[in-house]
Amino acid sequence: MDTTLLVTVVLVVVFALVFDFTNGFHDTANAMATSVATGALKPRTAVVIAGVLNLVGAFLSTEVANTISSGIIKTDSSGDEMITPALIFAGLVGAIVWNLVTWYFGLPSSSSHALFGGLIGAAILGAGVGAISWSGVITSILIPALLAPIVAGVAALIGTVIVYRTTRQATVPHAKPAFRVAQTVSASLVALAHGTSDAQKTMGVITLTLIAANVQPADSGPQFWVILACGLAIGLGTAIGGFRIMRTVGVKITPVESPQGFAAETASAATILASSHLGFPLSTTQVVSGSIVGVGLGKRLAAVHWDVAGRIGLGWLFTLPAAAVVGAIAAWAASSSTIGLVAVAVVAVAGVAVIFRLASKKPVNAGNVNEGAPEASPQLQGAAA
Amino acid sequence: MIEIDWSKFAVVAGVVLLASVVLTAFYSGGVRLLETAGATSTAARIGAYACFAVCVAAVLFGLWVIVPQFH
Repeated sequence: MDTTLLVTVVLVVVFALVFDFTNGFHDTANAMATSVATGALKPRTAVVIAGVLNLVGAFLSTEVANTISSGIIKTDSSGDEMITPALIFAGLVGAIVWNLVTWYFGLPSSSSHALFGGLIGAAILGAGVGAISWSGVITSILIPALLAPIVAGVAALIGTVIVYRTTRQATVPHAKPAFRVAQTVSASLVALAHGTSDAQKTMGVITLTLIAANVQPADSGPQFWVILACGLAIGLGTAIGGFRIMRTVGVKITPVESPQGFAAETASAATILASSHLGFPLSTTQVVSGSIVGVGLGKRLAAVHWDVAGRIGLGWLFTLPAAAVVGAIAAWAASSSTIGLVAVAVVAVAGVAVIFRLASKKPVNAGNVNEGAPEASPQLQGAAA
Repeated sequence: MIEIDWSKFAVVAGVVLLASVVLTAFYSGGVRLLETAGATSTAARIGAYACFAVCVAAVLFGLWVIVPQFH
């Protein structure tokens, strides 16, 4: 193996695991934000449960790990992927940078869209617009992205109405503890499903790179160390916890009570399981955000903060193109030479360090994750005083 | 022309709505029945446990869907 290829393979493996880690702490909120907001679970307990379930999930299934791009990046006439290890590396850089920027702003955005965006940008620059299957982009990314929050949101809204009607606005004895238990169970299902789907994407990236570098035979599945490393990276990322995003999802969109948390997590789990089982996986992030808006609309007098929801929607809109632009720039530099490749890695690491430094000035952690809710309306404040 | 299989999306939407309605109705129904049973009614208590059993079955089914080794 020549030096450039060796350096590329090592960089892809390292950056893929870094992406997996950011994926974990970006998406902790998906499963656990409502449980933390309603007090069903303590913040640290919640993220550790989610982390362990992510690790377990990574070992359960490796069936989609064999396709990296879900039909979004085409294969050439001989059936090989049109994307090279250097371009995969550039795509990962785009995905990591965008995931961290959105994390800094506390925006729940789809890690999968960031990964696809980075890869699409790198592929366009390296192999041309023809390398992208645009019908794949529409059916696997755009339509699911529009439908996921709507379907989950409507289901969560109806669920909330049913729960509050049946239990007289949750005033029957033991209602709140009962809903806390139920919401923890459904949240755990979401975490497990997340581990089985998201860790596999990284396994796919690493495996395809190893195949392209002739380190392992074509058509073989991920090796054990790849499965283990990916499971640990996503599990660790989840357990360290993305409290920044958790605060947005659990507190800022709408105040969530345990019956609503139950309705939201049930709708989310049902949506994620039904969609991945019946053929097209939806973004966990978008499903959960939709559910939360739904439960806010489903409860009388509960306010949905549309400015927060709008900012999240804007983040979704920009995720794919922004990651694509970073991926394309990285691809341009990385495909020039080994030095260019290493330079991209160095710049990426520096960028990551800057974002973490900025974030540490306004930390969000287990201690203040439930603070910072938007001002309650004056009447409610008066009632509380 | 891009072929889009809308029926798949419709099936998912239908399943999701049905699952959410059934689960929230049975679980909160169980909670409500437990309150009624608080006095003396054995029937209400049995009804409540039956409701919770439906929800437990749904969770087990969810696990079955997630874990590919089961199917």
